[in-house]
Amino acid sequence: MPAASAIKTLVVDDQLTMRALIRSGLQQLGFTQIEEAVDGEDALRRLIQNPVHLVLSDFNMPKLDGLSLLRALRSHGPTRQVAFIMLTGRADNDLVQRAAQFGVNNYLVKPFTVTTLKGKIEQVFGALT
Amino acid sequence: MTGRAVEASRKVHVTQGEHHVSDDPAVVATTVLGSCVAACLHDPVAGLGGMNHFLLPDDGGRDDAGAIRYGAYAMEVLINSLLKKGASRQRLQAKVFGGARMFDGLSDVGATNAVFIRRFLDDEGIPLVSESLGGQAARRVEFWPASGRARVRATTTAPAGRPAPPALEPAGDVELF
Repeated sequence: MPAASAIKTLVVDDQLTMRALIRSGLQQLGFTQIEEAVDGEDALRRLIQNPVHLVLSDFNMPKLDGLSLLRALRSHGPTRQVAFIMLTGRADNDLVQRAAQFGVNNYLVKPFTVTTLKGKIEQVFGALT
Repeated sequence: MTGRAVEASRKVHVTQGEHHVSDDPAVVATTVLGSCVAACLHDPVAGLGGMNHFLLPDDGGRDDAGAIRYGAYAMEVLINSLLKKGASRQRLQAKVFGGARMFDGLSDVGATNAVFIRRFLDDEGIPLVSESLGGQAARRVEFWPASGRARVRATTTAPAGRPAPPALEPAGDVELF
């Protein structure tokens, strides 16, 4: 059972409001090591310099979208194993399937509650303490 | 447009939970709002825009974050549709309408919606160029996505939940450039 506070997390979303909401949800779950990136390119740059255990990424973003970010991470040795949870809209069923092909660990359909966020993270990491 | 036939406009009604994006000058997005909010976003360079129509869930303030999540998602869907059609996030401008207090004696969900949309636009750095929020009147909104022009008309001035008042004259159009 991993401690939430031990999981280093990167939140990737081009909307400040969404990043703030996810950060607040993670903090409620006991996460303390939370970084933010404003798009896939920013995320990639940060992850190469500063690896994390979990990436929570939006799909629709300028510069580099969530799927391209996932592909880039999976093809780069040091980031290949990072847990990746994609945030999607209701209409993105095709995306979920494509993300699965590229090794996404889980997905979250927006808008989601903190309980759902917890459940999705626990499906990847096991029960959080 | 003297000497030119007026182009037939194509009305697209946007109901709660929906959005519509277009760069067609003939399209006018329309909606009717009570407590709901409609955000009309426009990119003046790309000549395209879009309208959404949403209502934050009201649970008496027990889960404000939940309400914000819902609104943030509604806005994200509209913004992403605009970006997909070629709008630039940096050029987006907003006009927002709705958030009326429609029922006496209940929590003012309209005000919650109005606070949310102002805060959201401020946080996201999207300039709010005009607004018609609050009050006790339902609104009929027309928005031309290609030009960014909007027109709002009050459809009633009395809160619901009381005996219907005598029919009122339309409160007049307000042009919001």
